[in-house]
Amino acid sequence: MTAIRSEIRFILNGEEVRLAEVAPDETLLDYLRLRRSLTGTKEGCAEGDCGACTVLVGRLTPDGLVYESVNSCIRFLGSLDGTHVVTVEHLAPVAGRLHPVQQAMVDFHGSQCGFCTPGFVMSLYALWMQDPKPSDRRIEKALQGNLCRCTGYEAIVRAARAISSYGDANDDPLAAERAEIAGRLNAMRDGARVEIGTGSKRFFIPASVDDLADLLETEPKATIVAGATDVGLWVTKFMREIAPVVFIGHLDELRRTSEKDGVLSIGAGVSYTEAFRLLAGRVPALATLIDRIGGEQVRNMGTIGGNIANGSPIGDTPPPLIALGATLTLRKGRSRRTITLEEFFIDYGKQDRRPGEFVEAVHVPLPAAGSRFAIYKVTKRRDEDITATLGAFNLMLDASGKVEKIRIAYGGMAATPKRAHAVEAAIAGKPWTRETVDAALAEYERDFRPLTDMRASADYRMLASKNLLVRFFLETSGRAAPVQVGRYEAA
Amino acid sequence: MNEAAPLPKGNMGEPVARIDARLKVTGDARYPADLPVRDVAHAVLVTSPIARGRLTQLHTEAARAVPGVLDIIAAGDVDGELERPQFGNSGSTSIAPLHDRRIWHDGQIVALVVAETFEAASEAAALVRADFQAEEPSSGFGSPGIEIIPAAGASPLYPENPEAGDFDAAWATAEISIDETYSTPTQHHNPMELFSTTASWFDGDVTVNESSQNVTGWKNTLARQLKVDPEHVRVVSPYVGGAFGSRGPMTPRTAIIAHAARRLGRPVRCVVTRKQAYTTQTYRAETRHHIRMGAMKDGRIVAFRHEGWELTSRPDNYVVGGTGTTARMYGYGAVETKVSLVKADRNTPSYMRSPPETPYVYALENAMDEMAVALAMDPVEFRRVNDTMTEPIEGKPFSSRSLMECYDQAAEAFGWNRRTRGIGSMRDGDWLVGMGCATAVYPTNVAPCTARVRLTADGRIRVQSGSHEIGTGIRTVAAQMAAERLGAPFWSVEVEMGDSSLPPAPVSGGSTSTASVCSAVMKACDAIRARLFHAAVTANDGPLSGLAPADLGIADGRIVAGARVEAVANAMERMGVGEIEEYAEFAPEGSSADAIANLYKGKLEMRMGEEGAKVKYAFGAEFVEVRIHRLTRETRVSRLVGAFAAGRIMNPRTARSQLMGGMIWGVGCALHEATEMDRHSARYVNTDLQDYLVPVNADIQDVKVILVEEKDTDVNPAGVKGLGELGNVGTPAAVASAVYHATGKRIRDLPIRIEDLL
Repeated sequence: MTAIRSEIRFILNGEEVRLAEVAPDETLLDYLRLRRSLTGTKEGCAEGDCGACTVLVGRLTPDGLVYESVNSCIRFLGSLDGTHVVTVEHLAPVAGRLHPVQQAMVDFHGSQCGFCTPGFVMSLYALWMQDPKPSDRRIEKALQGNLCRCTGYEAIVRAARAISSYGDANDDPLAAERAEIAGRLNAMRDGARVEIGTGSKRFFIPASVDDLADLLETEPKATIVAGATDVGLWVTKFMREIAPVVFIGHLDELRRTSEKDGVLSIGAGVSYTEAFRLLAGRVPALATLIDRIGGEQVRNMGTIGGNIANGSPIGDTPPPLIALGATLTLRKGRSRRTITLEEFFIDYGKQDRRPGEFVEAVHVPLPAAGSRFAIYKVTKRRDEDITATLGAFNLMLDASGKVEKIRIAYGGMAATPKRAHAVEAAIAGKPWTRETVDAALAEYERDFRPLTDMRASADYRMLASKNLLVRFFLETSGRAAPVQVGRYEAA
Repeated sequence: MNEAAPLPKGNMGEPVARIDARLKVTGDARYPADLPVRDVAHAVLVTSPIARGRLTQLHTEAARAVPGVLDIIAAGDVDGELERPQFGNSGSTSIAPLHDRRIWHDGQIVALVVAETFEAASEAAALVRADFQAEEPSSGFGSPGIEIIPAAGASPLYPENPEAGDFDAAWATAEISIDETYSTPTQHHNPMELFSTTASWFDGDVTVNESSQNVTGWKNTLARQLKVDPEHVRVVSPYVGGAFGSRGPMTPRTAIIAHAARRLGRPVRCVVTRKQAYTTQTYRAETRHHIRMGAMKDGRIVAFRHEGWELTSRPDNYVVGGTGTTARMYGYGAVETKVSLVKADRNTPSYMRSPPETPYVYALENAMDEMAVALAMDPVEFRRVNDTMTEPIEGKPFSSRSLMECYDQAAEAFGWNRRTRGIGSMRDGDWLVGMGCATAVYPTNVAPCTARVRLTADGRIRVQSGSHEIGTGIRTVAAQMAAERLGAPFWSVEVEMGDSSLPPAPVSGGSTSTASVCSAVMKACDAIRARLFHAAVTANDGPLSGLAPADLGIADGRIVAGARVEAVANAMERMGVGEIEEYAEFAPEGSSADAIANLYKGKLEMRMGEEGAKVKYAFGAEFVEVRIHRLTRETRVSRLVGAFAAGRIMNPRTARSQLMGGMIWGVGCALHEATEMDRHSARYVNTDLQDYLVPVNADIQDVKVILVEEKDTDVNPAGVKGLGELGNVGTPAAVASAVYHATGKRIRDLPIRIEDLL
């Protein structure tokens, strides 16, 4: 029998916090500002877009203590059990000297009105700890999730480049106290399940994946929350009741990955940031896509499993995973079943997940040698924007240049992530030529009836989606260089 | 010295780091919603889901049953206790949400819920049910039921349409003409800081903590609405998390929260969600433009006609009115202008960064590029041909105008001579390269202002003025002005602002603050100097005795006349004082006799750039390079260069940052920003930072700002032209011109989107 604990424990800056009174939907930001008067952390949007609320969360991983930037506005307090929360107040001046990140921001005029500044400081701090001499690309990635309305960013980027000239990352307080913090966090791991609250205000932190499976048998209607980058908005924007809640972001077992016989298995709790590292060498197109999901904070929090399980029609990872032929392991109690990913998406807001069941892992066949795989995400703004349409293409030609196999899937074109069966059928077995592609374009009307909304009109979605196939053809037939939506590098 | 702090050129101050930088990077700068308030109750707004009609009944029983709910205030509950808000001066709208039951726009406040906690207030607010008698709304341009009226005379701020000469006759003589229409969309300021009000009463006095660009105006407006003497009202706004005009006029919420706190007998705080701010605050009105321009083959413009249409609400005649600037931009010959208001079921728009210039100059500069193409002239040379030192409407000279100097410096830094003229003629691999340019302009406005300066014997200086640090650096430049005039180091100056109990300063809008505040600070400092100098020269035995005050200067804490010096502290000791404090009132040339009295009453009396014997404008030239993918039409702004001349530059570091941030605003205006509307329900749909797209870091690449040396002694005593609203004016048209150069597509309606380029 698993022991039960009725409080959460974490370290806030230097102080150990134990809380028994926590609502399942209480955000870290509200806790910091309203309960602790730590007002250096700001609220700008309450939905993980602007980064004014950025704090660091340190957690023990098999590789040691790792600090990542997160959006405290959508991070639930209950999910912080066993972590170290670091706010801008922890970077207090030492003997009157500002922290290197802060001094660089002062000297390079990285703030005007100053409201976004603490969030930028924390994002740059996380970057500096991971990479004291970051490339411009790394700086850009680290700042994707921070909006500034005054300065125009350029001064902040310059500050980021200069941080290490103000101090050594190894001298940083968080580096110095790393072993001590790790020890304290380790001591908090008592192997207990946490249960807090009663009635409609309950939440749980299972002790293990087996415990999660048991818990969901008794709480089949619970909301499963991993990174909260989607569920957080249900609360802050849509005022939805989410309790009872089961937090799973801490379960290392769900973050495991393995590769066998050309199939990569990714635990449902693997974050986008972790998936990026995993995929960079294996499926570069997918890693590139992950770079354009939210900002760094969202990628540190959000999980591949959550992106699938919540079934959004504009989730970015399902279409490429469908195109790759991914399968899903669902678990209920001690039993597991495996289905194809496309089968999982039944209709808008409806997935093939039974009460008490949860997504445990996704299995991704790596692109075969000689195959061509591409993903195109179309948005109004390059970074930190929601998909209008996203197409993923997986093509294998035979020796004669005929299409041996093709899988195409789209997001933003239907009520669910959806495969383009009719288009595929029009191409399969035919020579991979412009004529074949042009003839297949008409089949889009059979596969998709997109909607008009503020992100794109139905006509635009249809036309752009067709053009993505043309683009894929041009790129795979040597007629055009791969077009990467990227930064123009000055000569 | 680093890249963020350009070296000063002539007539520029030192590029010191901003005085509040340390507070801002450490999170210690306290914005109004950060202030701890004892026993504060939390308020949440309930807003209308319909855009037009009447509120017939409000059901609050379920909401009142939520534990912790303290009060619910709705229509009719404020009668006799709260005056209706007024439109104009310091008020954003006359819509009085708790006075009448008429619904003027979607998202109008219909009730306020106050509770012990924010959660309880939110929960209860969601349970308030309202019955409406809904009517079909008119959402804006082209909708049935809109009303179109002439702007001239509809607002005291827009008495008449500027014009000169006989347009029709001149138009008939033109050898080349263009006749086109342009449009700009609804835009919301979206400052990073959420809107909030915190009100606390103590012994009949109320203190309101709210980010504001006009604490003195609000104090008086609030006092009138609360029916108390202004002496009992204090508005405090030490740090402002971005404003851009959104915090200029006071919105009805402020008085409602103050009233709720009075009714409840305890402090009340209301932090408005970003979504609700779209309808309970203000925004930039969408506009339409019709421009006719006629020129001779040598490039001289002979006829210019600019007609504009602007959206506003049903009850309030907010006028954008940018023809005052476009009519004076070039030496056109004959000019005719006309502005009309389009009244629809919308909340009242208001000022947003360069309110008139952003839409109107966008239209004009797009037309200028079209005309340059029609004339087969280089766009820079076309502007040179029409550059003028005398504005065409009243024939008055410009106090200074360095437009072509800006063009020349920016063109050189940009490499404009590498541009080849043909459409699509410049390529870099699969990218079509386009280059464009446009003029930036902003009138040099200035307003009455007061300041109090104190110098203590230990060399410390305190500056007090009720201006507002909205991010511009006004505290920093005020400190620089005091340090310079009193010969003290910058770090010895402390600046207090953002409080209506300080000597009043004008609204921090219209790019007036640096000119107005620095002129007042200068005047107070000069009074201190005069007292010091008097003591030094009248002393019987001092080193400076017997000299004329006019021969003295002050530097490094010493009064100086050639080799003869006396420490300031000595002079003060001689005077028998430990400190000297001077209060100064600055009223710009041409102000009314009541200018300062009106300032205290919160009445705006701004002297505009086009007023006076000389017209006063700051100018700039902006160059843009875009890259548009040959196949996908993705558009990237790869380079921006802007050169700006704005009289004396108090601080090149803060000035550069203002201009750069402005140019990025221009990129947002050109390519991203638009508040989308569901036309059927007259409701905004992209009411968050997820779908209201502002530029992110990745949208910005290489930006260069050049500060062009310029001296202008006519504008104001400080010699300063405001530049906070200059940088964003030229960018959108420059982007549109560059897009045309790359693709041959002339996009006249903002924002420019990928689908426009297919």
